[in-house]
Amino acid sequence: MATASAQGRAAKATRPRTFREARAMASSNAELGWWVFMRISGLLLVPLAFGHLWANNMAFNAGEIDFAYVAGRLSQPTVKIYDTFLLLFAMLHGVNGLRYSIEDYVKRPGRRFAWKMVLFTVAGIIFVAGVMTLWAFSFEEMGDAVRALGTQ
Amino acid sequence: MYRGREGQWAFVLHRLSGVALALFLLLHVVDISLVMLGPDGPFDVFLVFYHNWPFRVGLLMVIAGVVYHGLNGLRIIIMDFTSWGVRYQKQLWYGVLGLTVAIGIPVLWKIVPEIVAAI
Repeated sequence: MATASAQGRAAKATRPRTFREARAMASSNAELGWWVFMRISGLLLVPLAFGHLWANNMAFNAGEIDFAYVAGRLSQPTVKIYDTFLLLFAMLHGVNGLRYSIEDYVKRPGRRFAWKMVLFTVAGIIFVAGVMTLWAFSFEEMGDAVRALGTQ
Repeated sequence: MYRGREGQWAFVLHRLSGVALALFLLLHVVDISLVMLGPDGPFDVFLVFYHNWPFRVGLLMVIAGVVYHGLNGLRIIIMDFTSWGVRYQKQLWYGVLGLTVAIGIPVLWKIVPEIVAAI
């Protein structure tokens, strides 16, 4: 890996002359993009995540959360939009952070690749499920029905 | 462990809280997604698990992790984008710890009695 990064540094000084040099260069540009993204998304996630915790743990007793509470929240357009930004930035920020950790601690190239593929696959499926929960379902009728049961 | 000074501990806590929060995020999106399956679906099974006191204590640690990771992330941004951030990184880190505790006290004050009352 040391030689690869040395080649990467050498490639920055001149035009890439081989595929390996070009890839090392492109990779460093992508890493620079992720480095910037972690700071921008991190800045946005501070108010988004703190607000999310406030709404569900401080303004409400989290021990009393039930289906009607979640359905009631997810049927509000403002919550849908707020949670979409929170889901998007938290997923990208979190998965990229896990990728950094895999690259720091999993040294063998084959295992590193396997861990990353598992991470991206699992996170991708969960992200799609999260978007579906926010946008593909109307919880208004279900939430109303359950609330009506609760007040009887 | 590299010297074990403040910057090192700031990194270790940032990494640990970050990995824990990312794994919790994946679990949390899965459990909220179960709401799609309706009021009589598996969401209720998850809720029984979530409302147990050991898990609620775990959720307090998630909150502590979010507060520390968020505030220390602001410290990292200050170190990267200001001329003075690195010079005061140690003081900034003690500020992060102090603010985490300051925010944590009213949170514990509100939530611990809820957990105790539900046992």
